[in-house]
Amino acid sequence: MAVVPKTVKVHGEGNTLSIEWSDSHRSAYPYQYLRGRCPCATCGGSSPSPEPGQLPMLGVKPLQPDRAELVGRYALQIFWNDGHSTGIYTFDYLRELCPCADCEAARDKIP
Amino acid sequence: MSKKVSPQEVLEALKHVEDPALHRDIVSLGYVKDIEVGFERVAVVIQLKTTSSPGQSELAQRVRKAVEALGVPNVEVEIATPAPAAAAPAPRGQSNLIPQVKNTIAVASGKGGVGKSTVAANLAVALHRQGAKVGLMDTDVYGPSVPSLMGAKHEPTVVEGKLEPPVEWGIKIMSMAYFLPQDDAVIWRGPMLHKTIQQFLGDVRWGELDYLVMDLPPGTGDIQLSLSQTIPLTGAVIVSTPQDLALAVAWKAIAMFKKLNIPILGIVENMSYYVCPHCGERDDIFGHGGAREAAARLGYPFLGEIPLDPAIRVQSDGGRPVALDENSSLAHRYEAVAKALVDQVGLANEQVPQIITE
Repeated sequence: MAVVPKTVKVHGEGNTLSIEWSDSHRSAYPYQYLRGRCPCATCGGSSPSPEPGQLPMLGVKPLQPDRAELVGRYALQIFWNDGHSTGIYTFDYLRELCPCADCEAARDKIP
Repeated sequence: MSKKVSPQEVLEALKHVEDPALHRDIVSLGYVKDIEVGFERVAVVIQLKTTSSPGQSELAQRVRKAVEALGVPNVEVEIATPAPAAAAPAPRGQSNLIPQVKNTIAVASGKGGVGKSTVAANLAVALHRQGAKVGLMDTDVYGPSVPSLMGAKHEPTVVEGKLEPPVEWGIKIMSMAYFLPQDDAVIWRGPMLHKTIQQFLGDVRWGELDYLVMDLPPGTGDIQLSLSQTIPLTGAVIVSTPQDLALAVAWKAIAMFKKLNIPILGIVENMSYYVCPHCGERDDIFGHGGAREAAARLGYPFLGEIPLDPAIRVQSDGGRPVALDENSSLAHRYEAVAKALVDQVGLANEQVPQIITE
């Protein structure tokens, strides 16, 4: 069986979505980081949503997910507080995105 | 030797004890409920999560040996099982479409004609006879056969804008067959199928169920994909006949479920052998044991074998599944398969991600 999340904390510490994986690895994704890598067709994996401070609009709530739902048993759908919800993050993709130092270093090694 | 061991040492020793059916250590499965250490004596309470486990006495033996190896002369092992009603494992990845359904089991095969629907219907009956609340959903919209297998004496009705499924032999049933004139056919493209699957889940008053058994059409197409993506399936049961041709196609179904991260709950070998009603001699028409061997080779649980018996055909055509007959050997076979399945469901539920929102 592939590595899958054991628990997903939508509102984890320090404005992150945190995942504990079946191999005990832990990932904490800052909301902006995760949204910037939304895999849906309109976002296309680029970073369309503004980094905080780039577009100082009045009355904009800080970005955060309202909730998340399982898609089958292979992915997570995140419902953001600005109404965006078309991104379906597969578990494999989420694991690849893990921003922790170890995973970052492992990614840098791949040419 | 009169050294007193600590509960931690006992627990450490138990980490090396595997459940004979599930092949995982009993500590990580959460079976160890209590460890009591006295003078030259240790008592261990093992709490199983299912009502029965085929390897229960074997498990007790393993626990005893592991603790005795620590130099404890008197070891008491107690195996506790939950009451039947609590046996259906608690769900974690629930779907908003069917929030009251605890476990969803897809019965699939790669190839057609291996007896999926018959196995699905009888498994549903066997689970029901073990005290569970069971629904049976026929997702084969092209060739729906569940109602005729189950008797179809009732029709669905509409209650509060939703479909009330008919109940046959204690099992709630939904099928495309209820909405089609007998000789008419469904000629649809993918999106229609997807919509139907969603309606069969969300617009049917399934109510509270321990198990929803889903009979899938053969292949790896729209319906399988829709189902796998719409709800977090607990797992899939693969039905195959013993011959190489059917097995080769069954692996394609397994490959699909693996891609979608859906656990394979086990493999059932159908039409395993034929017993001649005249002379009683056994004939392995499609070969024998092929599915068992293949399951062992690839590390999937083998749930059991069902013989090719004319009684199954006769009873199925008559709308009375063989699993209903308490004293028949066929019913016992299905019972054994259902029990093995419940164990695997328990294990699969351990792996459903839990989503916490607060």
